[in-house]
Amino acid sequence: MSREELAPLTLACAKCGTCRTVCTLYPERKAEISVARGKVALVDAAISGLDGNAEALQEALSDCLLCGRCERACPNQVRVEEIIMKGRADLAEEMGIPAWKQVVFGRVMPSAAAKNAARTAAASAQKLFLRKVPTGSGLHYRFPEKFGWEGRTVPALPGTSFLGSLAHGEAVRGEVILFVGCVFDHVFPQVGRAAYETLRRSGKKISVFRDAACCGLPALVSGDKASALRCVEENIGRLSAASPERIVFPCGSCLLMFRRNVLSFLPKGHPLYGQAVRVADLCEDYASFLLETGVVSRLPDPPKGEKAGRIGYHDPCHLSGTLGKGGEGREVLRRAVGDSFAEMKGADLCCGYGGTFNIRDYPTSARIGQNKVSVAAEGGTAVIATACSGCILQMRDMAARTDPSLRVVHLAELVFQAISHR
Amino acid sequence: MDGQPLSALRDLFGERLFTSREQRICYSYDATGTMSLPDAVAFPVSAEEVRRTVLLANEHRFPVIPRGAGSGFSGGSVPVQGGLVLSLERMDRILSIDTENLVAVVEPGVVTETLKEEARKRGLFYPPDPASLKFCTIGGNIAECSGGMCAVKYGVTRDYVMGLEAVLGTGELIRTGVTTVKGVVGYDLTRLLVGSEGTLGIVTKAILKLIPFPETAATILAFFRSNHDGSSAVAGIIRERITPCAMELMDRTAIDCVREEADLPVPDDAGCALLIEVDGPRESVSTEADRVEQACRQYGAIEVGRAGDAKGRERLWTLRRSISPALRKVNPVKINEDIVVPRSRLPEMMAFLADVASRRNLKIVNFGHAGDGNVHVNVMISGTDEEERRRADEAVSEIFGKTVALGGTISGEHGIGISKAPFLEMEVGPLGVSVMKRLKGCFDPNGILNPGKIFMEEQMAQR
Repeated sequence: MSREELAPLTLACAKCGTCRTVCTLYPERKAEISVARGKVALVDAAISGLDGNAEALQEALSDCLLCGRCERACPNQVRVEEIIMKGRADLAEEMGIPAWKQVVFGRVMPSAAAKNAARTAAASAQKLFLRKVPTGSGLHYRFPEKFGWEGRTVPALPGTSFLGSLAHGEAVRGEVILFVGCVFDHVFPQVGRAAYETLRRSGKKISVFRDAACCGLPALVSGDKASALRCVEENIGRLSAASPERIVFPCGSCLLMFRRNVLSFLPKGHPLYGQAVRVADLCEDYASFLLETGVVSRLPDPPKGEKAGRIGYHDPCHLSGTLGKGGEGREVLRRAVGDSFAEMKGADLCCGYGGTFNIRDYPTSARIGQNKVSVAAEGGTAVIATACSGCILQMRDMAARTDPSLRVVHLAELVFQAISHR
Repeated sequence: MDGQPLSALRDLFGERLFTSREQRICYSYDATGTMSLPDAVAFPVSAEEVRRTVLLANEHRFPVIPRGAGSGFSGGSVPVQGGLVLSLERMDRILSIDTENLVAVVEPGVVTETLKEEARKRGLFYPPDPASLKFCTIGGNIAECSGGMCAVKYGVTRDYVMGLEAVLGTGELIRTGVTTVKGVVGYDLTRLLVGSEGTLGIVTKAILKLIPFPETAATILAFFRSNHDGSSAVAGIIRERITPCAMELMDRTAIDCVREEADLPVPDDAGCALLIEVDGPRESVSTEADRVEQACRQYGAIEVGRAGDAKGRERLWTLRRSISPALRKVNPVKINEDIVVPRSRLPEMMAFLADVASRRNLKIVNFGHAGDGNVHVNVMISGTDEEERRRADEAVSEIFGKTVALGGTISGEHGIGISKAPFLEMEVGPLGVSVMKRLKGCFDPNGILNPGKIFMEEQMAQR
């Protein structure tokens, strides 16, 4: 591992143990290796030449949801996420990246055409091989038990992506760019559509970022720096050339990638670094944009008492926690649904998705997620609104497993509904 | 440790025994930052497993190091001689809270704050409040006899431990103490175990005293021109026969650390701040707060603020709470001592600390629980300069000497562990050390439990 880069970061840890109080994974593992203090000690040992087994170290660093709670609670402001992501990348360089990740992160995610092809193929496959599960949030398919995924469900993939559904004339080059993100384009195109339609109510010209590469976060957190870099180069160059007034993100994780992570992994001397800094400044979350441009204040008054207190807001770790945008999401929701909104029980509990964590340890991810949605449902919430693609994927799966009547939606869908129906 | 004891431990603990290098690294440190690798880590879930572990340790002669959350400040849970770290974090059940007798029975791995919250829900109060209360464990608090801010009024962990169940170094399971308010049957083994840093026994269950939760509280923040004025006010308030539940002092170096980020105005000429909290029945809190304000003014306070509601009180507390995190701005490495002097000698001690810092050209930040005479002396060093490290060590020695000379003690709440072992005899004298070692021999004849702590190696050899 690269000592020069990591040593100054690990030195900041005073080993106080504060991270034990907030770690999402600690209650599951009940062992120090799951918390930031342990992982920082391991990275520190590795760069001091004391590490034993690179594989065991990789396993330890992978066992993290990157929810960022430790980093926010840390009295010494240790940059835990950066340490873990850098550590994962260095180890991946030493040990190689699994073939399936190379294909997904290196070939599919950076290319709009490949993403389309992959969705079409997967959509046919799920219809052929998986069992249907109707849920409150739409059709899901369940994997057979023998997959070892304890009956994981996935949303039914659409035949057409959001961008594919836009007539070419519809999206014009404009002042504000909507970065819709892979999931809201290919998996939940209705979210992409709702975001687009509601952003247009701002009166600004909205253009959609066509042929976008993935934001690169999935590759980056897997330690696949080369693929992440390919995504970033693909996106930053074009976004920068378009010189928009704003770039709006319906997904908190894509936003975090552009606002913070790109700048921590792109080397300072990289030709795109300056552009990445400027692009980062233009990036904004969906809710903040709606508040700033007055879209929500122009919404008709919501009906009273219909479903009082049944709609809650889930805090995505990246968006509400790291980027501090929890208040904005709630404000938009309150204006869109009125007294149907009530603070949800366990709103700031992590959903347990953690990107690739959900794939490497589905049983743990599912325990954390099921607890999340159960706490919400027990508190009387019937609809969970949020603004992150990973959280929606996870909570829909969890709802399908525990309470299929529980709906999980993007904030934009409710705003769009409010605009259309009143 | 070689194959035989490890395989016996494997039989006992199964998957709850960790031997990989990565897992061992994660149990090699505490909050002092000192590291020493254990040979294995085990997670018992019952007193019986602890007992059988210690029996195995006697048979195969390997060290057993009990550990709570590893948040200690004296190296108490660091396995300096290797061996087995016995992590009690999975014995974390509150067994009962008896609201008729005001008694809680808990396992050692219960996090202090969890117990405080559960008691609070029943209108009861478990007062000890070490700064790490959100993550430290009751077992660790008992082992180190942790204190906290409210010790000035409510005392420390020892004052709330009524009885214990513990596994001695021989592997015998002992029950000490009582579940009643009174009890004087034989020697007070409970008090002996509290603060023994895991060298006499491993606590497997604790019977704790609870008290009614105070009705209300008020917080006063007073700024003074000098340490002398501030620390004189501390003695003055005590002389007024008021016992605040917290009386925290911050010297100029501490105030300077947080001057910018504090969300409240700090007077430019503030050289010392006192944060005082009084609690109790509504009527007495209001008159006591008045008297505290008056006393502060009498001793030269340049500004006094007061809050009675939770939000306002929390705002005043931010000044104190932001200090620890901000210390790194002074220098990256902290040598953290917790001396205590009689409250009346506090002005003298504060002057001495300032003098040591300037004479030895060191950055020393002082703050802490002045109400009970407990000062956290933080010598902040770069960590890369050997010569500076030597000056810091000499300064600490000198400060300990002065502390004992003033009739104080070198550790109020952190314990001796490894970091203060060289100074044990300075305070308790040769006879004190000798009697302690004889007691150690009686509880743990084979030296199984937490070796290398409290006593220096050579002292143990002389036994």
